[in-house]
Amino acid sequence: MKGRVLVVDDDTALAEMIGIVLRSEGFDPVFCEDGDEALGVFRQTQPDLVLLDLMLPGKDGNEVCRLIRAESGVPIVMLTAKSDTVDVVLGLESGADDYISKPFKPKELVARVRARLRRSDEPAPEHLTIGDVTIDVPGHRVERAGRPISLTPLEFDLLVALARKPWQVFTREVLLEKVWGYRHAADTRLVNVHVQRLRSKIENDPEQPEIVVTVRGVGYKAGVTST
Amino acid sequence: MPRLRGTGRLLRARAGRRLRRWGHAWRSSLQVRVITTTLALGLAALGTIGLYVGERMRDGLYTGRVEQLLTESARSTAQAQTTFDSSNAQTAVDVQRLLQEVAAAQASGGTGEREVFLLRAPGEQSSLSVGVAGSKLALADLVSDELQRATAAGGQHWQSVAWEVDGHVQPAVVVGQDVTVPQAGAYGLYFLYSLQAEQDRLDFLLRTLAAAAGALVVLLGGMTWLVTRQTVRPVRRAAEVAERLADGHLAERMPVRGEDEMATLASSFNEMAASLQDQIRRMEELSAVQRRFVSDVSHELRTPLTTIRMAGEVIHASRDDFDPAVKRSAELLQTQLDRFEDLLADLLEISRFDAGAAVLDADSRDVRDVVLAAVEHTFPLAGRRGSWLHVDLSDSECVADIDPRRVERVLRNLLVNAVEHADGSTVEVVVGADRAAVAVTVRDHGVGMTADEAQHVFDRFWRADPARARTTGGTGLGLAISLEDAHLHGGWLEAWGRPGRGASFRLTLPRRAGIRLTDSPLPLVPQDADPPDPVTRVVDRPRTDPAALPDLGDEPSTDPRERQEVR
Repeated sequence: MKGRVLVVDDDTALAEMIGIVLRSEGFDPVFCEDGDEALGVFRQTQPDLVLLDLMLPGKDGNEVCRLIRAESGVPIVMLTAKSDTVDVVLGLESGADDYISKPFKPKELVARVRARLRRSDEPAPEHLTIGDVTIDVPGHRVERAGRPISLTPLEFDLLVALARKPWQVFTREVLLEKVWGYRHAADTRLVNVHVQRLRSKIENDPEQPEIVVTVRGVGYKAGVTST
Repeated sequence: MPRLRGTGRLLRARAGRRLRRWGHAWRSSLQVRVITTTLALGLAALGTIGLYVGERMRDGLYTGRVEQLLTESARSTAQAQTTFDSSNAQTAVDVQRLLQEVAAAQASGGTGEREVFLLRAPGEQSSLSVGVAGSKLALADLVSDELQRATAAGGQHWQSVAWEVDGHVQPAVVVGQDVTVPQAGAYGLYFLYSLQAEQDRLDFLLRTLAAAAGALVVLLGGMTWLVTRQTVRPVRRAAEVAERLADGHLAERMPVRGEDEMATLASSFNEMAASLQDQIRRMEELSAVQRRFVSDVSHELRTPLTTIRMAGEVIHASRDDFDPAVKRSAELLQTQLDRFEDLLADLLEISRFDAGAAVLDADSRDVRDVVLAAVEHTFPLAGRRGSWLHVDLSDSECVADIDPRRVERVLRNLLVNAVEHADGSTVEVVVGADRAAVAVTVRDHGVGMTADEAQHVFDRFWRADPARARTTGGTGLGLAISLEDAHLHGGWLEAWGRPGRGASFRLTLPRRAGIRLTDSPLPLVPQDADPPDPVTRVVDRPRTDPAALPDLGDEPSTDPRERQEVR
């Protein structure tokens, strides 16, 4: 069993089709058709990933996303028909890790799901530091000044990618490839939104970031380690 | 001296400027024109009337006074003659005394101040010479010889003279009449009267008149200003409101006051504006509904399309298990789904343009790189079609503020279109640049098109030959989207074609937002097209506001391009 995927979509035909594709790839899909029930189903089934349609009866996708994110760092991938609107940014700001715009191909769906479920399988003990932030990579723990910080797996991956090469400036495209697993240029709003989310958790003052520093016109890099 | 001349020039220049400003005010302001005309006419009328009235007043005062003086002096002369006649003076001394007495008596005998002279008539032959007598003999010079001679001939004569008193010249008249003095013979008795009092009165009257005229002119000017303002102000206001309306402030209205013609104008104007606003609003609503509909349809189609797409993929993946007919069906399903998806994507893109939701993600990029990327993308198709791609890049840099995604899409569209219509001939791509713009032309030597067709190639879903096989794919929206992309950059996308001689497309993009294109660095009509066809400019109005950024100027380009072949 590669993983349990919760598909929250009111379009039963699409949900079923997604189920067929996921099952053929060895995933274990569970379904929910209503925004109001999504959280209950989520708690009950404890999925490894959530595929979430933005337009739902009852609570809308963003609301569901916020509720799930409030209690879990589970990867959330949005399904959206309007990739060019503010809906996407709203969804990402509600805590979604990635999105797929309709219409998508089965391979694309599977690749997105795999990318989010792929856990770092480097067993070697690795400890990284940026400033006063310490990262225990195999233990998935992050502390700032001795105080533990809870990050979602995606935020964790983003921080680790920056911390592993503190001398390097990462463009948004490179981060999209390293953290999200995109081969080709994708929506750089993903990076912007998640850097903001990460900063709001680890920075003392997110307006004056010290850990994840913006390099104007290029991208992001890890802050200076004061050791 | 040169300095003086300089000053003169300066003054002339200043006067010239003032004149030009005045000329501008004259042309541009109805009020200035009306006031100026009224004042000029008023001044002319007042001047004429003033001259006439002044003349009449002078005449009246002067003539009356002179007549009175003539009567008075005639009476005085008669008195003097009586005195002379009754005198028995014999000696020169006696006669002299007599003359003195008469002169003194007459000097104080008039109604006003007057001077009296008794002058011996010219040509008097009497042996007794007693000379002259008078109240102020120093003034006897004022009596001209002419008058003396006329008087000697007999009768009453008079003449106007200028009497200088204390260095001040006042008008006066000299009235003379002949008298006979015992022993001494013929004499002339002359009275000198000052007319200063009359002059003073006249001056006063004229001054009053002038003051009244001045006041009248000022009043006239003020009245005209007021009246024209009443008429001009609503007109000006109407012009302002019309301008605001034209600028898109459709809620702008004119204030309606009273029930006069201006109020009628204002209310008619407002009615017009209201109906205009209503029409525009209705049209906007209609087109918004339509745009919304297209966008909604496109979005709504996406969910079922996703399901179909996935189902198709699953079926397609296991097509080898089916019998040949089903297998082929699965393949057809797959390719047509691709086409359907492309169409939907293009439809959505067009609806985004229509909704004004398309945003330019501009970046400073060398257009040559974008051209090469698009060319690279077209290689496989060109290879399949047996067409060569001949690329001629400008040697100088072609950096412009462009949205690379959109420009590459335009170029891909043009290249694919050219390769598909080239029928195996070479497709030529040329890049050129000048200071203001960067241009790319894509030329093929295929079937070509008529000038009429060239006008329609950017129409949505337009096909040159409806019967032409649609196997080449394409959604029919590609060139329409390309045109919108060019518009979005404030650029041009133009087409040229001749049947059997191929077609040429030219994309011209301004180097920076705000540059208004006036011409393109490259010709649209190929040099081998003879005779050259008139170009139909499809796009000539950039949507971006050219006032937003400074102009680069339009210096001629010095851009020696060297031919370079890329394959």
